[in-house]
Amino acid sequence: MEQPLAARNHQCALTRRMSHLTLNRLSKRYGETVAVADVSLSVARGESVALLGPSGCGKTTTLRMIAGLIQPSAGAIEVLGVDVTQVPAHRRNMGYVFQSYALFPHMSVAANVGFGLDERGVGRSERDRRVAAALSQVRLEGLSARKPRELSGGQQQRVALARALVIEPDVLLLDESLSNLDARLRDAMRLEIRDLQRSLGITTLFVTHDQTEALTLCDRIAVMHAGRVEQIADPVTIYERPASRFVAEFVGRSVVLPVERSEAGLVLGGRPVRTAHPVPESRALELFLRPQRIALAGPETEAGAHNRLGGVVRSHVFVGDRLEVLVDTQAGRVTVETSGAGAVAQPGDAVSLIWSPSDTLVFARAAP
Amino acid sequence: MREGAGPWLGAAAALVYVVLLAPVAVVVFIAFSADSFIVFPPSGYSLRWFQRLWAHEALMRGLSLSLMLAGIVTIGSLAIGVPAAYAIARAKVPAAGALKAFFLAPLLLPTLVLGLALLMALQPLRLTATLTGLALGHMVMTVPFVIRLMVTTFATLPDEVEAAAASLGATPWRVFRRVTLPLAIPGLAASAFLSFLLSFDETVISLFISGPRASTLPVEMVRYVEGRTDPLVAALSVVLIVATLFVILVVERIAGLARVVGR
Repeated sequence: MEQPLAARNHQCALTRRMSHLTLNRLSKRYGETVAVADVSLSVARGESVALLGPSGCGKTTTLRMIAGLIQPSAGAIEVLGVDVTQVPAHRRNMGYVFQSYALFPHMSVAANVGFGLDERGVGRSERDRRVAAALSQVRLEGLSARKPRELSGGQQQRVALARALVIEPDVLLLDESLSNLDARLRDAMRLEIRDLQRSLGITTLFVTHDQTEALTLCDRIAVMHAGRVEQIADPVTIYERPASRFVAEFVGRSVVLPVERSEAGLVLGGRPVRTAHPVPESRALELFLRPQRIALAGPETEAGAHNRLGGVVRSHVFVGDRLEVLVDTQAGRVTVETSGAGAVAQPGDAVSLIWSPSDTLVFARAAP
Repeated sequence: MREGAGPWLGAAAALVYVVLLAPVAVVVFIAFSADSFIVFPPSGYSLRWFQRLWAHEALMRGLSLSLMLAGIVTIGSLAIGVPAAYAIARAKVPAAGALKAFFLAPLLLPTLVLGLALLMALQPLRLTATLTGLALGHMVMTVPFVIRLMVTTFATLPDEVEAAAASLGATPWRVFRRVTLPLAIPGLAASAFLSFLLSFDETVISLFISGPRASTLPVEMVRYVEGRTDPLVAALSVVLIVATLFVILVVERIAGLARVVGR
């Protein structure tokens, strides 16, 4: 792990050069309230990063500070190595897609999309050509004369996207852009936005509270909680190796069981349990498992190097694409997700729950 | 649930309208009277009072002064009230809430007090009985109205729309001109209309600060009625009613159109 200093410096310089958008200890306070605290983030050219978190975690405030719509209390924003913290919004060249779309209601679709080009002094014929190209990019040809209120939610969303893309922004900022659409349209738009983002190679920051959106759309995810970034990593790492209890609970479903520390190691429901990961110093601990990583087996199955917990099946819950089996164990009730295919243990059956130490995460118990 | 009002409620409403509009109807009849005095019903009908009105110099001078004054007051009130309302609505000034309350004050004062105060303030400045003085006096009434109306108008415009314009490269002034102002047209039309009518109709304040050099139509009408009782003033009233209805229709068209174009 230890690198020579020169090599490390070189690598530092390299990442800095490649960074397209850099947030350096960005903070925003409203009086006593801290909305965003020390957010640092480096986004490479063409990369898409999600700011994921519950409402009120400071993700939209962060996005608005990047766009210049909110002045940060402290910290700096750099685009292509240039500090833009004091640059007003209209000179930042950021494409912002609002949750409400914020289309200009008194202008046609074409005038909406052409707005940013007008403000940049682009000539009439050039503007018309680029507006037409942007509208065909989002598959809205033929609607250019319509007014926003004559469009469906999905169409308005596309106009907002075309309007932000047509100015060829340095960074595309999407604020909960899909949350006002119904579920089916959301799935379609999600794929569409990802394809567009990839094919244009545009650096994108995506604010969302929807983990599916973050996991499917983005190269990396920054999970935010109470104004701070809890973890920045690729989607697989976020899901498989959450760095904190909050990330583990917020992303994906979890089985949480109390676990005790003894001289020999960790004890779960009176039996030793192993983990391949570090255990925090705290006395009160909790064990986190992904419900689909737990295997159901017969009561006397030998677990080998794996962890084993005995229990009795209580009930089944059919959820369509999976079957949830509720098992009562010494350590508490555990939900196991199975595909539902083949023979499934029936209520009242004694079973073993078996899972790998590498799927076993241990965090400090939350304060009650 | 039954649609609309029941027969009793409808009848009651009709009665209220009759009571309210009956005096106006009487005025209309008398305006077309052929008599030399106010008699109802008139013994004959003619247009003679309209002809007399047209030839009456003092009233005609009052009318043209009132129209000019109302025009100046309207432009002045919008020029002051719209930027002030924008600053208050967007909380760009400290104590926006207190300012909003402060601008309500002239609306709550009796106009009699306001008129006396204006007389005492304008006298030393030698502005009584001048167009400037009258315009300033009327604007004390109209600016608060414009601010009230426009604060509400701006407050209902989503600020995300303005933020979107800024993020697309529009300077604050361009945002105001290309986005905020067009979306505020219904409010602007209502403000202009209200300022014009308030100024045109203002009597109490005008009585205090008018004089032989500059006298508005309402003041001339009061003077006329003090001395005589013929149907001339009724004819003038009919002219005013028709003119007001015309303005209302025009504004309704503009504001209604703006609403259709806008949202």
